[in-house]
Amino acid sequence: MITLTHFLVVSACIFAAGLYAVLARRNAIMVLVGIELIINAAILNLVAFGRYDRGQYGGQVFALFAIVLAAAGVAVALAIILNVYQHYQSINPDDIRDLKDQ
Amino acid sequence: MPQPTLTYPLIAALTAVFLPFAGCLINALSGRKRTNSGIAIGTITGSLIAAAYVFTQVWGVAPLHIQWEWFVIGTRSFYVGLLLDNQSALMLLLVPLIAVPVHLYSVAYMKDDPGIHRYWMYLGLFCFAMMALVVADNLLLMYVCWELVGFASYLLIGFWFTKDTAAQASKKAFIVNRIGDLGFLIGMAILYAQFGTLDIRALFQGDGLVASANVVGTEWVTSVGSSMPSVWLTAAGIAFLLGAAAKSAQFPMHVWLPDAMAGPTAVSSLIHAATMVAAGVFLLARIFPLFNATTLAIMVVVGTSTAFVAAYFALAQYDIKKILAFSTISQLGFMVMGIGIGAYHVALFHLVTHAFFKCLLFLSAGAVIHEMQHLKEKNKLDIDPQDIRNMGGLRKHMPLTFVVMAVAGLALAGLPPTAGYLSKDALLVHAFEWAAVQRGVAGVVPYLLLAASGFTAFYIARLVFKVFVAPSAMATTAAAHEANKWMLMPMIFLAACSLFPLFSIHPFDVGHVWVIQGMLPLALWPAASLYHTLVPVFATLLSLSMFAIAWRWYAKGTYPLRGRGLLYRLSFHQGYVDRFYHVALVDPLLRLSRFFVTIDRLVVDGVVDGCGRIGRLFAGLAAWFDHYVVDGLVRFVGKMAFWLGNVLRRTQTGRVQYYLFTMFFIVLMVLIYQMIIQA
Amino acid sequence: MESLLFYGFAAVAVGASFVLVSMRNIARALFLFFVVLFAVAGLYVFALADFVALTQILIYVGGVLVLLLFAFMLSNKELLNQLQQGTSHFFALPVWQALAVALSFLIILVYAAWQFHQHEPQWIATARNAGAVIKSSDATVQHLGIHLMTRYLLPFEVISILLMMALIGAAHLARKGGQS
Repeated sequence: MITLTHFLVVSACIFAAGLYAVLARRNAIMVLVGIELIINAAILNLVAFGRYDRGQYGGQVFALFAIVLAAAGVAVALAIILNVYQHYQSINPDDIRDLKDQ
Repeated sequence: MPQPTLTYPLIAALTAVFLPFAGCLINALSGRKRTNSGIAIGTITGSLIAAAYVFTQVWGVAPLHIQWEWFVIGTRSFYVGLLLDNQSALMLLLVPLIAVPVHLYSVAYMKDDPGIHRYWMYLGLFCFAMMALVVADNLLLMYVCWELVGFASYLLIGFWFTKDTAAQASKKAFIVNRIGDLGFLIGMAILYAQFGTLDIRALFQGDGLVASANVVGTEWVTSVGSSMPSVWLTAAGIAFLLGAAAKSAQFPMHVWLPDAMAGPTAVSSLIHAATMVAAGVFLLARIFPLFNATTLAIMVVVGTSTAFVAAYFALAQYDIKKILAFSTISQLGFMVMGIGIGAYHVALFHLVTHAFFKCLLFLSAGAVIHEMQHLKEKNKLDIDPQDIRNMGGLRKHMPLTFVVMAVAGLALAGLPPTAGYLSKDALLVHAFEWAAVQRGVAGVVPYLLLAASGFTAFYIARLVFKVFVAPSAMATTAAAHEANKWMLMPMIFLAACSLFPLFSIHPFDVGHVWVIQGMLPLALWPAASLYHTLVPVFATLLSLSMFAIAWRWYAKGTYPLRGRGLLYRLSFHQGYVDRFYHVALVDPLLRLSRFFVTIDRLVVDGVVDGCGRIGRLFAGLAAWFDHYVVDGLVRFVGKMAFWLGNVLRRTQTGRVQYYLFTMFFIVLMVLIYQMIIQA
Repeated sequence: MESLLFYGFAAVAVGASFVLVSMRNIARALFLFFVVLFAVAGLYVFALADFVALTQILIYVGGVLVLLLFAFMLSNKELLNQLQQGTSHFFALPVWQALAVALSFLIILVYAAWQFHQHEPQWIATARNAGAVIKSSDATVQHLGIHLMTRYLLPFEVISILLMMALIGAAHLARKGGQS
């Protein structure tokens, strides 16, 4: 029997993985991937709870929206990464430290 | 009872008193511009005329008395007023009579002095004060004038105040007089405490309060009901005697008078020969009923010793004015002695005659000194113009001066036909009469007085011979000439007054003197005609023999003695009295004063400084506290903020993953907190 | 049977994501991402959200992943060079702070899920009792379509605007010959 809890646990694991990628990877594209993982975990949550919303299909609709938004976000982020690379010759987030308080 | 209305004599008396004061004020207000003597001479002459009028109206008539209320303390009133009786009218006439010649003399003597405007001012002040003193009707007013006279004397002695000797002498005079004034004040206080009034007439007239008060047992009981232990009666007498003794230069408070010769000679003649020093004698005569037997005995001792000792000191002096100063002291001693033996009428008579011839002596001495000063300046000599050893043979060049000085000298020595003979020998006669009634050592008094008379004759002869008769000591005295006529006129007038016709028809018999008739005391010693003839003869012979000795020694120049013996030195150094005072009184006082200065500097100032230092210490502590604690706290807070900021700055690494990490970490904390809360 | 499939999909998803985030080779990481996306799509089906699963595949795999791959492959040589360098290790060294935070979040989320299991939310129980639970026989596409055009019209339009903004922005950002 697949209960809500199973989905939630899976979602939690994917979220944790994505969080780790965001915090620890030294490549901006991997950070982006991490963000995508987090978003996916969230969408999974939405869908899992949406099963109990037959009246308004709220979970599923917003899952759709989230997917779309994630895609848009990726596109813009990649453009930004390209620009950052052109400026700093590096896409290691650790190398971009202009906001450091000297 | 005091008269309620002003009659002409009283108005004249007021005029006589206040005219010189007006002159003084006018001179004071005109300041340096006034160099001429017109105001001064005018006022004093007016004063003389008024005084003469008063004298004619009051002499031999019942006394006039008027008073006004001066001030009130509680329920007690004090008055100012005039009392015109024989004594005061006589003195009121005497003062301007002496002052007018002195003023005229001063015109020539003080010519071209830069301070002349002050001179006229001070002279006016003095004349006013002296005349007010003699007509004062109560002791308080008399005391005020007494002080004023002393003050005028101080101003005039220190007239040439740029000279150190003059400044010191004026201070000395004032201080010694002050000691006497203390006596006067104490006497006044005792009298007021006992009788409740200071009015002279009420106290001292024939049947006045003092006379009607008796010593019963050990109490001094008055007719108004108050009483004190009888020792106060003696104390009052001694207190007043002290006052008079200081003012009239009795031994041992005579030390100021020789030094007072540092003032102008005209001042010396007026004040320190004729009038101010006579104020003491006048006071004693006025309050005579107060004195009991003890005080009178003391008075006799004081007077006699003064007369003898001062005459002795005069023997070896060589400063002309110092000789005359000691002569004054000696004659004052005679007067005080006269009052002590109860013959105050004779004492006052001697005061009057002494005024004339002593003033004359000083004026002629001044003329001589004036001449010597001219010689000194003209020939640029380095001499003391007052030293008789530098003079001699001036008889040829200053004949008139010689004549008048000789007349005055004869009067001083007490030879007929001068008035001085009448007064001096009257004193001697009364002294013998008194001694005849006394027991014990009192018998030596008249003989001491005779010896003093002998000394007097000797020293005045020495003076006259050395100055005028002896061969001149300096060659330059040949150029001396006679004194100015402004100086001569007054001197001649005074010489005339020194002769007998002014006072008596009979040149030899004192009983005819009208002055004495007007002031007879109530009780006299029994007259012995033996003394009346023997004593004057003996005294005259003594004086003549002294003249002869002086002639041999000084005019002829055969001086047999060594001049360096103990007696000579004792006389010359004036008995070392000054030295004694210095060592015994002045130096300890100065040491005490220096001691107090040191205490003041160390202790008082030390305490103040100590407080200041303690205050500064506290201030320092407060400053330290403020700087390190209070400011430290503030600085600490600032440093804390700085440190905290520095620490927090580390979080701004610029690395985006670090920011994300921080964010997630905080969210984690919140979630954990919520979980714990829920659990 | 169902459970097994579910567990299989879940394991693939979770495992692939774990490996993905620790892999050093970015190309392989991206392909693992591809695997994750597919597995998650399968999980959507188990949640009876079939249209979402399809949309996931279409957009995520077909769009996002391809975009990532393109961006990665077609980037500068230096970018690729960065990959060639590196240690011989297959995995990147875990950064322990991030690992700690991630694990903490994992624990918290699992704990929350456990709480959900213990105390079912009220609205879920009501929905189940009322029978308002999506069944596999429901025509989800139809319902989704209706809801999108009626109930969720406004978000729909907003999303479209947002997409347009993203499109323009990305195009401008990535243009040649100048920074943005």
